[in-house]
Amino acid sequence: MIKVRALNKAFGALRAVSDFTFEAPPNRITSIIGPNGAGKSTAFNLISGRLVPDTGTVELDGRDVTGQPPYALTHFGVARSFQITNLFFGLSTLENVRLACQSLERRSTYLARLSRSSRPLVRAQAILEQFGLQDRADELVRNLSHGDQRRIEIAVCMGLDPKLLMLDEPTQGMSPGETAEFDALIKSLASRVTILLIEHDVDLVMSLSDHVIVMHQGEKLFEGGPEEVRASKRVREAYLGVHDAAA
Amino acid sequence: MLQTNTPGMSTTPLSTPLRSRVSQRLLQALQSAGCEPRQLRWFAISMLAIAAIFPWLGGSFFIRLGIEALLLGTVALSVDILLGYAGLLSLGQAAYFGLAAYISALMYLHVTQSFWLVLLAVLITVGALSLALGAVAIRAKGVYFALITFGAAEILSKIAHNTRAIGGSDGLIGIPVPRIPLLPGIRLDLADNLAFYYFVLAVLVLIYLGMRRVLDTGFGSVLRAVRDNSDRVPYLGYNPFWYKLLAYVLAAQIAAFGGLIYPLLRGFVAPHLFGFEISTKAVVVALVGGIGTLLGPLVGSVIITFLESVVGSYTERHLFVLGAIFVVFVMFLPDGLLGLARRLTRRRSGRS
Amino acid sequence: MEDLLSYLHFVVLPQMIDALIIGAALALVALGLTMIFGLLDVINLAHGDLYMLGGYAAFALLGWGAGYWGAIVLVPLLIGLVGWGLEEAGIRPLLPRGDRAIVTLLLTFGVSLMLRDTAQVVWGTETHAVAAPFTGIASVAQVFVPIYRLFVLSISLAVIVATWWLVYRTRIGAVLRATAVDPPMVASFGIPIRWVYSFTFIYGCGLAGLAGVLLSPIYAVFPTMGHDFLVLAFAVVIVGGMGSIIGTIIAALFLAQVQGLASLWIPPVWAETLVYCVMLLVLVLRPSGLFHRIGEA
Repeated sequence: MIKVRALNKAFGALRAVSDFTFEAPPNRITSIIGPNGAGKSTAFNLISGRLVPDTGTVELDGRDVTGQPPYALTHFGVARSFQITNLFFGLSTLENVRLACQSLERRSTYLARLSRSSRPLVRAQAILEQFGLQDRADELVRNLSHGDQRRIEIAVCMGLDPKLLMLDEPTQGMSPGETAEFDALIKSLASRVTILLIEHDVDLVMSLSDHVIVMHQGEKLFEGGPEEVRASKRVREAYLGVHDAAA
Repeated sequence: MLQTNTPGMSTTPLSTPLRSRVSQRLLQALQSAGCEPRQLRWFAISMLAIAAIFPWLGGSFFIRLGIEALLLGTVALSVDILLGYAGLLSLGQAAYFGLAAYISALMYLHVTQSFWLVLLAVLITVGALSLALGAVAIRAKGVYFALITFGAAEILSKIAHNTRAIGGSDGLIGIPVPRIPLLPGIRLDLADNLAFYYFVLAVLVLIYLGMRRVLDTGFGSVLRAVRDNSDRVPYLGYNPFWYKLLAYVLAAQIAAFGGLIYPLLRGFVAPHLFGFEISTKAVVVALVGGIGTLLGPLVGSVIITFLESVVGSYTERHLFVLGAIFVVFVMFLPDGLLGLARRLTRRRSGRS
Repeated sequence: MEDLLSYLHFVVLPQMIDALIIGAALALVALGLTMIFGLLDVINLAHGDLYMLGGYAAFALLGWGAGYWGAIVLVPLLIGLVGWGLEEAGIRPLLPRGDRAIVTLLLTFGVSLMLRDTAQVVWGTETHAVAAPFTGIASVAQVFVPIYRLFVLSISLAVIVATWWLVYRTRIGAVLRATAVDPPMVASFGIPIRWVYSFTFIYGCGLAGLAGVLLSPIYAVFPTMGHDFLVLAFAVVIVGGMGSIIGTIIAALFLAQVQGLASLWIPPVWAETLVYCVMLLVLVLRPSGLFHRIGEA
């Protein structure tokens, strides 16, 4: 569904992402893991339009979307969440999601009074219910708990009715209980969208993912199923080995 | 844009149970850190009532002062649209005020006595300039946007100052007061202070209601999002540039209306109409009234204009007083008088 | 050919020398502005009025019988003190806010109004002349230049070089530059960031005050002298790069030359407008200016 070929991005002398190529199968969960500084976030930014690659291509369902800005990518079905919560803190939960839903409507409807354009509102309410957030619909996001905010991040993404859901360390700062809930949530979404995930929680990755990509120093180190990754000596040396020693 | 983290400003936890009626949910969903529609509406109506009776209480001097306050209000309103809704601080709204004033003056002096023709000319010129300048300025980040708008206004000011043909540093005087044909047979004679006042008030009310309506749309909701977190906006599928640009062009037209009227009130135009003093005074006044409320800048400009006049009759130190008021508000009351009023009434009704 | 050389020698060169002097003094004012922005992210709209106060302070001190030399030492200190007061009372409480650049801009605007009005109260609205400490004309390359202006040039250049040396060649400067980039890191070394900020602010204001003293015999003092100089100083800071010391110095000298030379061929008021247009152009094409901010590569 998403094909990334030979992506390169350098910042001055630092090669953040080097010849990065992978393919994420549709309607599956693909995780990108790797130690800090491996280039995961940069790769994400290259795919989601935040950065423009120096060379390389990004293809979505056969369409070349390399270097497109984020607001174009959402219309191709890409939605991304952020590692550091990046919501509209002064707006309510419902409004956050409604804004995402609204962007799917035709621009000509933007001049109508808000009360008349109820479709985004109805969709947003449905999404909130799906995420169990309907009780917090009218709370300002800045007043909600971290765990709630992380869920809203994903809810907002779903508002865009995406084909590709990109989640950047979604469980950042979550408690074990919240992480377990998240695990279930993602699994429930996976049947409808392709999910691309950056995660540090290795157990979560192994339990969730259908496909894993390991990055190291800007390059792809390994690509395969979770068990293959776990078994790979190369990966263990570069990354999991450190983890095992610590565990 | 002026993020306030003062405790009183955070939220209103709604104690009423949620109903599923779409419109009610919508009202609540629209609650940002800014306006609470119902409360504001009462306030707006009472302000309008006061404004309506006001001319009967004061003499012609005060009526003209009131008109001047309303004109400043248009510039302040334009500042608020940008700052309170799109998150852009413009230090050069006077550019459009001054431009409209000069076009208005020049046309009345040399071209025509038709109000509508002048209005059209102003609309087109200001529209073109704001489109060009906005397209360029909005690409710049944060502070640089403010500086570009500031620079542009300064340049216009200098051009007006340097060009003898349009009056140079002395400006233009002797601008006639027109009669505006409203409907066949009905003419509005602006020489009549009362008529002038109600005319400006009526248009301002229309502008205010118009802006409320514009902000109550999908477009308005995106603007609010831009103000809240413009980084995230593209990831929701909106290109913030067009929204900011549209807001900028709209704001420019509103400031231009004030400029259009000014020479009819005072009979002259001068380079200082483009000046930093007016631009920043508009910001001061909007802040004092309350950013992000649309009503705040209007209230603020009336209060400050009259305060200056009163203070001015006791002392020449009105610049100092203005500066001091501003400093106090920036530091302690960043959500302005309206924000203060809202907090007080919320506490009184036991909501917080 | 003869005529061209003659023109260059007796028309262009004097103008360039004059512009050089003004540029150096402009650099003093702009340096303060850029250091304050570069380090604190604060836009000090009252900076021009501090320059104005410097001029008035010189006028007052001279009126009380203090010598010019006393004034040239005292005034920067006094203005630095005023700056410190402003920083402690007004700026510091606003520093933690995320929108500090904008809020401090608004705050300093209010302060600017107050300062301007205070000056009018104390000294009236008329222009006051300040006597230069010495008169006399020197001949530089067959061009006549008042000795006092040469003096202004030398002092300005000396202070500019000293400032550059301070920021780039001393430990204090290293701390300053580090704080501009990563304040928490510097704080973790046990260095009191508060004092770094205060020092920068005081130093910047002192520079403005010094410029006020130096230029007062040339331009005289009047209440709005701060405003025009401020806009020019902003143009310099923007073109040179906000927060860049080198950029400010070069831009000040450059823009002064632009204005000075342009005045030879177009009316001086338009020359000034030209400078603003250059500023606008830079803002549009390369907003960060020609040079990089303090501390950045």
